[in-house]
Amino acid sequence: MRQSSIVPILAALAGFLLLWQAVVVISGFPPFILPAPIAVLNRFVTAWADGTIGPHLATTLLEVTLGFAVGAGFALIAGYALARSAFVERLLSPYLVAAQATPILALAPLIALWFGPGLVGKVVICALIVFFPVAIATMVGIRSVDARLLELGRSLRATRRQILTTLEIPAALPSILGGIRVGVTLAVVGAIVGEWAGAERGLGVLINLARGSLFDIPLMFATLLLISFVGIALYLAVVLVERRVVGAR
Amino acid sequence: MNGRGSLMARGVELSFPVRGGGTLPVLGGIDLAVPGGGIVALIGPNGCGKSTLLRVAAGLLTPSAGVMALDGAPIPGPDPRIGLVFQEPRLLPWRSAAANITYPLELAGWSAERQRERLEQLTELVDIDRSVVVNRPAELSGGTRQRVALARALALEPEVLLLDEPFSALDALSRERFDLELLHLWERAATTILLVTHSIAEAIFVADRIVVMSARPGRIVADIAVPLSRPRSIADLDEGVVSRTAREVRRHLGEAGDPSDEASLAAAS
Ligand SMILES: Nc1ncnc2c1ncn2[C@@H]1O[C@H](COP(=O)(O)OP(=O)(O)OP(=O)(O)O)[C@@H](O)[C@H]1O
Ligand SMILES: [Mg+2]
Repeated sequence: MRQSSIVPILAALAGFLLLWQAVVVISGFPPFILPAPIAVLNRFVTAWADGTIGPHLATTLLEVTLGFAVGAGFALIAGYALARSAFVERLLSPYLVAAQATPILALAPLIALWFGPGLVGKVVICALIVFFPVAIATMVGIRSVDARLLELGRSLRATRRQILTTLEIPAALPSILGGIRVGVTLAVVGAIVGEWAGAERGLGVLINLARGSLFDIPLMFATLLLISFVGIALYLAVVLVERRVVGAR
Repeated sequence: MNGRGSLMARGVELSFPVRGGGTLPVLGGIDLAVPGGGIVALIGPNGCGKSTLLRVAAGLLTPSAGVMALDGAPIPGPDPRIGLVFQEPRLLPWRSAAANITYPLELAGWSAERQRERLEQLTELVDIDRSVVVNRPAELSGGTRQRVALARALALEPEVLLLDEPFSALDALSRERFDLELLHLWERAATTILLVTHSIAEAIFVADRIVVMSARPGRIVADIAVPLSRPRSIADLDEGVVSRTAREVRRHLGEAGDPSDEASLAAAS
């Protein structure tokens, strides 16, 4: 990333921390309600050093990665089929919208019941939540491919496969990556929700522990911030990929 | 010269389905012969079906009646012996100029090395500056974009080149230069050329014959030989025969009837 784009990010972070500190000072809330930024940072460092956070983070990252891969994989195929076949669209869109309209929070306990407290249930929830935005973005992207370019491909006797790889995918890529940006952050939400519904390990579990049996509010804040950093990091990773493949246009 | 790459339309008809039912007859029985190695210019009012006729010749559309044939055999679909330059450059915006030119070679499975060699020849043939081939289409001038589209159409060494108003986006001076270059290119590449144009001057300068199409449904209403010898130069356009030919073409176009074409005709005279 360029220097000029780093500066505003750091400025925004500093502003956020200052505001937080100001609220702590002005309100006078006790640390078990609103700990100061420095206390949270300290707690994060010690919890990281004594190995409290590591395993939870690793579990959540694995769930997010697998869930995203599965959800986005199916979504790319479904999005393409939705774009290219009116039949598939009529067949699938009611279910797609219904699935999206049902809150994942309400589905999570059911999925935990079916798949147990292990990895599979979380992957399913992540995949479900990632599916919709990526499928829609793929459908829109493929639909918007310039018909004149497709005609050019036909005039050069491109095969179905060549049309897909040299015309449809490159043309739809900006839209697909837009969906993936949304999807990757939602995958983090999916993992946490899944962990809340029942799990042995994960950042969602750690939040529950910190709020409940441990009653360690600074640790809870540290975990919350870590979760949002995971989301931000994944989002930035997609943006970087996007710059490389699309930005050069 | 009736070499390879002769194009023949016989009674070609074509209608498009209209939204909400019915059909729009666009080509109303086209009879046209372009001898191998010859240049024929096709002129006609807006919307009369010129681009559609080129699409049929390129194998992109199948006529509802009649046949379109290349060297006597009907054209069942897109054919590497026929190169088409669309009315707009139609380049892939995410590819460099070079990668746009070699796109047909890539689709045809050429090795990277052969593609590179052919690219060299093509940029030389259509006179594209080496330094701009790495640029994306958005970074090219309109004229260079047309050259890239032309190079791409020539990539597979077609016997027939179909040009749909290739230079209409250029200013008058560049256009004369492009026309001249097109003739040089034609001498070297030895292709048959069917050129759609709105400019009578361009048609006279480039073609052996000028074919005039009527308003939709398009039909050939005149086939006028250009009495100019080759090789031609821009100075030839000052000859008396030119204005006589132009007058004849205009008379037939007038019968074809199209007020919207008046401006370009005035510019051509
Ligand atoms: N795919 C299509 N579907 C329906 N109608 C079409 C289609 N393509 C062209 N037409 C119609 O066919 C007619 C002829 O179109 P065409 O593009 O061949 O005209 P043209 O002679 O090339 O015109 P211009 O000089 O403006 O380029 C027009 O009325 C156009 O609206
Ligand atoms: Mg046209």
